Amino acid sequence: MNRSTGFAFIAPLLVLMVVAFNLPIIYMLGLAFWDKGRGFTLEHYEGLLEAPVYLRVLGNTLRISLIATIANVAIGYPLAHWMRGLGRRARLIAIALVVLPFWVSILVRTYAWIVVLGNGGLVNRSLQWLGLTDAPVQFLYNELGVTIGMANVLLPFLVLPLFAAMIRIDDRLLQAAASLGAPPRTIFWKVYFPLTLPALAAGTLLVFILCLGFYVTPAVLGGGRVPMISNLLDTLINQIPRWEQASAISTILLIVALVIFAGYRRLDRKASA
Amino acid sequence: MSDIRLEGVSKRYGAVAAADEVDLAVAQGEFVTILGPSGSGKTTLLSLIAGLNRPTAGRIFIGGRDVTDAPAQQRNIGLVFQSYALFPHMTVLENVLFPLGVRGIGGAAARTQALDALKLVRLDGLQDRRPSQLSGGQQQRVALARSIVFKPDILLLDEPLGALDRKLREELQVELKQLQRSLGVTTLLVTHDQEEALSLSDRIMVLDKGRTQQVAAPAEAYLRPANRFVAEFLGIANFVGLADGRTGLVRPERVRVGPTGINGGRPARVVETIYLGQMVRYHLALQGGEDSPVVAALPFVGKAFAAGDEVAVSWDTADIWPVP
Amino acid sequence: MRRRTFVKAAAASLPSFGILSAAQAQSKEIRMIESGGLSGDSIQVGYIDPLKAKTGITVVRESPSSLGKLRALVESGQGGTTLFELGSGIVQQAKKLGLIEKLDWAAINPAPMFPEAKNEYGFGYQYFSTIMAWRKGVKEPKNFIEFFDSKAFPGKRCLPDFPHYCLPFALQSTGVPIDKLFPLDVDAAFKRLNEIKKDVAVWWKAGAQPPQLMKDNEVQYSICWSGRVVGDPAFGLNFAGGKADLSYIAVVKGSKPDDKLAAWKLYHEMSLAENQAKAAQVISYTGPSPDLDALLPKDKLWQYPTSKQNKDVQYFENAEWWAENGEAVNKKWEAFKLSL
Repeated sequence: MNRSTGFAFIAPLLVLMVVAFNLPIIYMLGLAFWDKGRGFTLEHYEGLLEAPVYLRVLGNTLRISLIATIANVAIGYPLAHWMRGLGRRARLIAIALVVLPFWVSILVRTYAWIVVLGNGGLVNRSLQWLGLTDAPVQFLYNELGVTIGMANVLLPFLVLPLFAAMIRIDDRLLQAAASLGAPPRTIFWKVYFPLTLPALAAGTLLVFILCLGFYVTPAVLGGGRVPMISNLLDTLINQIPRWEQASAISTILLIVALVIFAGYRRLDRKASA
Repeated sequence: MSDIRLEGVSKRYGAVAAADEVDLAVAQGEFVTILGPSGSGKTTLLSLIAGLNRPTAGRIFIGGRDVTDAPAQQRNIGLVFQSYALFPHMTVLENVLFPLGVRGIGGAAARTQALDALKLVRLDGLQDRRPSQLSGGQQQRVALARSIVFKPDILLLDEPLGALDRKLREELQVELKQLQRSLGVTTLLVTHDQEEALSLSDRIMVLDKGRTQQVAAPAEAYLRPANRFVAEFLGIANFVGLADGRTGLVRPERVRVGPTGINGGRPARVVETIYLGQMVRYHLALQGGEDSPVVAALPFVGKAFAAGDEVAVSWDTADIWPVP
Repeated sequence: MRRRTFVKAAAASLPSFGILSAAQAQSKEIRMIESGGLSGDSIQVGYIDPLKAKTGITVVRESPSSLGKLRALVESGQGGTTLFELGSGIVQQAKKLGLIEKLDWAAINPAPMFPEAKNEYGFGYQYFSTIMAWRKGVKEPKNFIEFFDSKAFPGKRCLPDFPHYCLPFALQSTGVPIDKLFPLDVDAAFKRLNEIKKDVAVWWKAGAQPPQLMKDNEVQYSICWSGRVVGDPAFGLNFAGGKADLSYIAVVKGSKPDDKLAAWKLYHEMSLAENQAKAAQVISYTGPSPDLDALLPKDKLWQYPTSKQNKDVQYFENAEWWAENGEAVNKKWEAFKLSL
């Protein structure tokens, strides 16, 4: 099949993608610049600058997303590495356990954390029973709760690509490194880790960008005290409504995501060059 | 003094013995090949020596030091895999620098040493490429350079040429042999290719089902195999019944084939004639005997018998080796 | 939402679509988007089923409803949805944005209704209250001064994550009576919220959160929707100082005349006290008929937002004020949230 017939095959799909996904986005982004009757305007962006509270919410969102992403990596990387070392059967079970939450409603999972981490939850009761704490530890309704919840919900997005990359690493590479005299620490940092880095970067990026748009988990586990941009957008779209303002914020959010992605691409290209 | 010594080394996986009480002594600078069919335990044996695996019984000595319980990184061994096992995220030079770096050798000295190793395997000029930009033969040379650059006590080669095509393999065999001789490094090669084993080694060790079948110089093992397995595994074997009831081995090169009725050989018919360049090989059916079909290999001098020709076949009694 | 916009746009652009429905003399089926849950069930049992029995007209329900959805629906070209549920504040917004149409009250010919429910642009079909509630066993506050007094009434609070709920209650706790709440003294309200925010464990977004949090003993006091807590022996509640509000069902801009004819018939059913009594059996929110109390079970009258005893002690949502000031207040609200 030559190049042009190949293109002919995917052309309808491409058109569908552009119409179904991109046009609405362009329309949405355009809202911030175009006023019915008055034409082009920048007032909605000016509005953002005048009332920096929305930008501060965006900044808060970036910060929480970063924390949640770091937590995700701190848990996900060792987990994926541990799974790599398992036997075939145990590995299958581990994958199933990691993927299982995908099929559970995000709301149910989020509420499940209340049962586990609440003041009268499993963890706090155990801590008090063991005599480690006197009063319940406040795990929920703060940034810690949001971080825990987001890390849990997004963990598969990091673990699965990472695990796939890790099992592709030939054991003989590690054996070769050992035979060449490298101690385990050197083998990990000089051979194993660099080989998982592309998948780690891609997974981290995915998790971070998903964090930016998180809605349910911060609202429930954050107890409403962790303002995230998607909650603000919901208010601006469904309650006030100021679609133009929402559009301006979304545009900034999109630019942030694109900048991060561009940075990732640059690193990726440098790494594979 | 032997550089590698195995004493009753065994590796068991449940009831299966991948290595079964293997003894071996390899002298300083010697090139020994472990030869066996797949599943014979030869790679297991190599991994035990390299320290990638621990034996269930026996001791392993390298340079007189008992390394049985030492991890791989403390054995100072150069190891080359069939799959090359080059680090894909590093350049050729970085790959070769790796073992120097972990030994604390850096800077210009390391660079010179690495470039010298690359020159030795005739890869100078390719040091900035990535492994994925090299051919299979080039990658194997990088692996070789990486395993000799730090002057290992011994060199272990696990089917190093197995993934290459025939012509390249033969070229590299010659280079490998020259390199080994010029470095004088004690070398242990694992292969299932008996031609490779015969052409490269000072001695070969034939392995089957984890047990040593014979350790001998190539010609010795070829002409005077210790048992029927070795006889059959090393080239083509003609077996003949002997007067004392034992079985005798005659190699194809020792079989004479001529026109009928000239020097009183046994009558036979040519079943197949195969040209091998300098040699021609006949598959023959002896007439009136119960002996197995006979294969003969003769120098090709421009004229040969064709399939269906009646011929006379003979061999010297001195060329018969009674298989123990 | 984006994808839905596209689907609707594509559907509307198909010429055969309009021709087909225009050819029908009288719509036998119309579509409604409502807020879902028990409330949706109450619409089905109270109004849609009786309409079907009387006229054969079917009403297909879909949920949830949000202003964003309505705006997308209208801006992408009407896709065949006639009726849309909106909160009282949202009716004002939707009217301003031109997303809904006037009702033909003459054609509806309703039974007697409370005046605020008979809006030019919407049928106020369901009263609901936002009230104080608590976990049984704690000290019981009688008004919002006591509710916000965490010294005398110790325990964690759960408040709505919406300024138009929180601010008037906070203001009440400074001593402002319910008939003097509007125009709202926003700064005084925020000042009060800043004083009590340390006692608030959770700011809720979903109506299901406060009762669950009280059950789990995560919080002891909540401001929540009455329908979520009445009749549950685990909770105590008080309508005093509560907010009575009204949900409306409006007609989507650009609806087809035949569909509207069917909609008037549904509205008529919704005005009948006996139908509202059926709906109140499904959810403890009440319809706009002044005659409804007589049809409700006597022992449950205390549960309903509009029963005489409750209606008098609550204030009524001032949708006009919020339509004017909502966005400015929301910016302050977001700033307040960032200070938590």
